[in-house]
Amino acid sequence: MSAGPLPWVNTATPLGRRNPTMKLAVLFVVSFALLFVFDPLTPALLYPLALAAVLIWGRPSPRMLLLAHIPFLGFALGMLMINAITRPGEELFTVLGLQASVEGVTLGASLALRTFVLGVLSIGFVFSTDAVALTDSLHQQARLGPRLCHAILAGYQMLQDMPGTWQTIRQAQSVRAPAPAPGVRRPGIREFGHAAFSLLVVSLRRGERMAQSMESRGLGLAPRTVWKPIRVERTDWIMAFGVLTVLVVVLGLGVTGGWIRGYSALWG
Amino acid sequence: MHSTTPPSTTPVPARGRFSFDLKDLVLIVVLGVVFGFLYWALVQASAGLTLLMGPFGDLSSHLLFGGWLIVAPIAVAIIRRPGAGILAEVIAGGVEVVFLGSTAGPMLFLVAAIQGLGSELPFALRRYRSFSWGVYACSGLLGAGLAFAVSAFRFGWYGQDFFVIRLVVQLLSGLILGGLLARRTVNALAKTGVVDNYAIGRDLPTTGGA
Repeated sequence: MSAGPLPWVNTATPLGRRNPTMKLAVLFVVSFALLFVFDPLTPALLYPLALAAVLIWGRPSPRMLLLAHIPFLGFALGMLMINAITRPGEELFTVLGLQASVEGVTLGASLALRTFVLGVLSIGFVFSTDAVALTDSLHQQARLGPRLCHAILAGYQMLQDMPGTWQTIRQAQSVRAPAPAPGVRRPGIREFGHAAFSLLVVSLRRGERMAQSMESRGLGLAPRTVWKPIRVERTDWIMAFGVLTVLVVVLGLGVTGGWIRGYSALWG
Repeated sequence: MHSTTPPSTTPVPARGRFSFDLKDLVLIVVLGVVFGFLYWALVQASAGLTLLMGPFGDLSSHLLFGGWLIVAPIAVAIIRRPGAGILAEVIAGGVEVVFLGSTAGPMLFLVAAIQGLGSELPFALRRYRSFSWGVYACSGLLGAGLAFAVSAFRFGWYGQDFFVIRLVVQLLSGLILGGLLARRTVNALAKTGVVDNYAIGRDLPTTGGA
């Protein structure tokens, strides 16, 4: 595949050299463990640790790191506000007739901070992992079927052309559309739907051609060999062990200190 | 003289019970990629809606929720094999996480698999032979319902005042976007002829393209 890595990906870092499947597995374990934590202090302790790890070993540009925070900053704020005003409990303050409760703010803060922890870890993963290497690694380490991997790589290449295709379709639409009076009408949901359907049809047609040419080159057949073997090295295990140790220590601190709260926190 | 047969060097298509043709797999991936891209574009465009709703912005995600579901019924209707819907959802989720850099994290894979299961179940119960409005509607409702149960646990919606509103809005969105819009899209696709070479094309005269 000639598809290159995406512009924000940098694999020339300690984190970038780690095995992609291993990184994904570690991320999955941390996400799953945090699902059962509902106090604000535990994620508040984990966030600086995660941020430091990503900064030291992933070396993203600070600007990109900050920009990548924006989507889940909004999500976290929404989560905090909705929980603050929709949970019964001791009154903290009242704004515009909406009553915020202590319990609500505590829980909202916990969920918002969890978003930050998982967000920064996901950024670390996305910024350090090349999609083609991930697919190769999933094939070799996670036993993902070869044909599925071929299909995914084809899809990846198509995705890289997609913004261009989308723009072409929108431009073709606006050329043919009746000229609106100045400042009257912006393209609405209807135009979006039409463009989306065109994109779908164009892509399906292109996909069928791709599948035919892949099949004619024997890509759907077995047995297969691997061109670039990807190994799990000792460093990968050290990374996984390190992350899990930090997680267990922070959770353990919460248990000893008595501040950790489980799912029962939802009912006060 | 030993008479062991040498290992066959003739390549054969590797097929199991749940394995798909390369062509079907590419179609599923293409659907996942296109809808992953469209949803991403839609999210960019609708950020204003979230801002507009202020403290209730968190609720706005339920309005568009059905958009997540639509890929599963389309894949099932075109390919008509077990597992197509779940696979399509998981791949669409994977596109979001890995290729488009979504920060929702890998739990998205799990949620995608569960909502794909919900969307596919009604078709599976009719043995992938009935594609009426009713089955699509059930598919949208079930997908939205299952996903709701998981998300409610993840984000702690239980015990909130808005629990019922959330559930109703999400179910309606699933019904309309994930069910009825899916059927419209499938029928429109069948009319264009791009899916004639898939399972849907073979059954076209009986199930009706319009």
